[in-house]
Amino acid sequence: MTAAPGGASSADASSADAATTVIADEIRRILAAATGRAEMLDIPADAPLFGQAVALDSLTGTLLLREIRERFGVDVAGEDLNLDALATLGTLAAFVGERAPGGPGEAG
Amino acid sequence: MDSAVTGPVESGRVEPGTVEPGTVEPGTVEPGTVEPGRVKAGAVKAGAVKAGTVKCVVWDIDNTLLAGVYLESGAEPPPADPGMATVLRELAGRGILHAIASRNPPAAAEHAAQVTGCEFAAAECGWGRKSDAVARIAAELNVAAGALAFVDDDPYERAEVTFALPPVLVLSPEDMADAVGWPEFSPSVVTPEGRRRGAMYAQRRRRLAAERSFGGSREEFLRSCGTRVTIAAASVADVPRLHELSERTSQFNSAGADLAEDEFGSLISSPASGVLTVRLRDTFGDDGLVGGCVTEHGAGTWTVRLLMMSCRAMGRGVIEALLAWLARSAAREGAQALEVPCALNDRNVPLRLALAAAGFRAAGDHAAGDHAAQGQAAGDQAAGDQAAGDHAAQGQAAGGQAAGQATGRGGLGVPGGAVGPGRAVFRLDLGGPLPELPGWATGPGEP
Repeated sequence: MTAAPGGASSADASSADAATTVIADEIRRILAAATGRAEMLDIPADAPLFGQAVALDSLTGTLLLREIRERFGVDVAGEDLNLDALATLGTLAAFVGERAPGGPGEAG
Repeated sequence: MDSAVTGPVESGRVEPGTVEPGTVEPGTVEPGTVEPGRVKAGAVKAGAVKAGTVKCVVWDIDNTLLAGVYLESGAEPPPADPGMATVLRELAGRGILHAIASRNPPAAAEHAAQVTGCEFAAAECGWGRKSDAVARIAAELNVAAGALAFVDDDPYERAEVTFALPPVLVLSPEDMADAVGWPEFSPSVVTPEGRRRGAMYAQRRRRLAAERSFGGSREEFLRSCGTRVTIAAASVADVPRLHELSERTSQFNSAGADLAEDEFGSLISSPASGVLTVRLRDTFGDDGLVGGCVTEHGAGTWTVRLLMMSCRAMGRGVIEALLAWLARSAAREGAQALEVPCALNDRNVPLRLALAAAGFRAAGDHAAGDHAAQGQAAGDQAAGDQAAGDHAAQGQAAGGQAAGQATGRGGLGVPGGAVGPGRAVFRLDLGGPLPELPGWATGPGEP
């Protein structure tokens, strides 16, 4: 990944943040489609995915992980056996961002 | 990818040696020359194929299910092919599902259902590739490609599906008279649930359509359609279905293994273990026995040796209800923790998601030896009881297999999995507030 204009090390960090934000938005759209609930588009980054607001279960969780693998090439369940990455929307987006091919994790 | 297949096959004649390995016809494969997943049944020695691997047959319509071409028959569409109709009924009676992948309009699928007198669990009608249609059917029905057979009279379509989806068993209509006798199409047990499977998938399609048009949350939907989850102690009469479930489940199977009928029988009669059944019904239909578990009641810990559920019950509140009931019952009996040793493979991610959603955490490092030791400890706690001794042996077997000797399913061991070797123990601390049993669920000890 090419650094943002003026690419210093701080710019690298902010481009990683920007990528995570993009991924988080994509995850919101996946959740909205998987649950059929438009309010998923507005959930905050610190919303627990297994908590009341999102209430991820095995069905929606499986759909979510399948979509993430297709869109970002990241097999969350394969790399995170305990599924800690699913704590919140933010932790999941960061996890995916670090591992997505061409994402900030590879730009190093 | 397409062109590699199209060249030699479009003429309808396949020259051995000139095509991709995946496109060879049944009976022409030398054992050992292709990957196991691509070997067709006719070429496999008896005993090499596990009985009943095919859960669903995906059918073409023209010149396969029908004796003719749907769109070329004028006002009167062709009748069912009598031979195929017989095969359909025979396989449905064994609990094998049927689905349709056709380039015809959807009305052709309805016609095929009418003239064959058979329910189809899924129908994909459209102009895309057949392999894509087959993959969509696998996703919709929640079955692996290796549990599908595909029947089409067109050699091009057969080659395309074989090439794109090597695990699928690809057959011509002429193969089918023979194939009904193959082990792939011969499940070892057929239960009442199994015989009604086709009808239940039809109910499922109606339920999914209703859910899509329902405005509220899934929980509200489950309430609105009168979902009832009934947890009960297993009886001897439940053993065939429990065995069948243990054999058929993979997405919701904690052990990644099946249990023989006599093992269930001895566990039911053992005071040191509990065997539970879970039944599910709603206003769309009665799904019967869809889940079960085997528990061991240690002094401070309840251990779930096997937790399993039909993927048909996914998203209907069943696994949540069962985990809540287990936690509440274990706490009532004085246990401080509920543990679910779980095989880690790429197929049972849905179960791991359900455990994580219910608040279970996987404990530390997943060294295989730890679990053998736990199995031994559980056996020691109930010293002298034979069933508990069996568990100790199973724990040790699991440890050995996880160390790299996996030979497939069998007993409470560990099958090979793409995620990597091993197991993890998912643990729920019962010291905190207990989960509520959902209002649609009932079980022993609960009002």
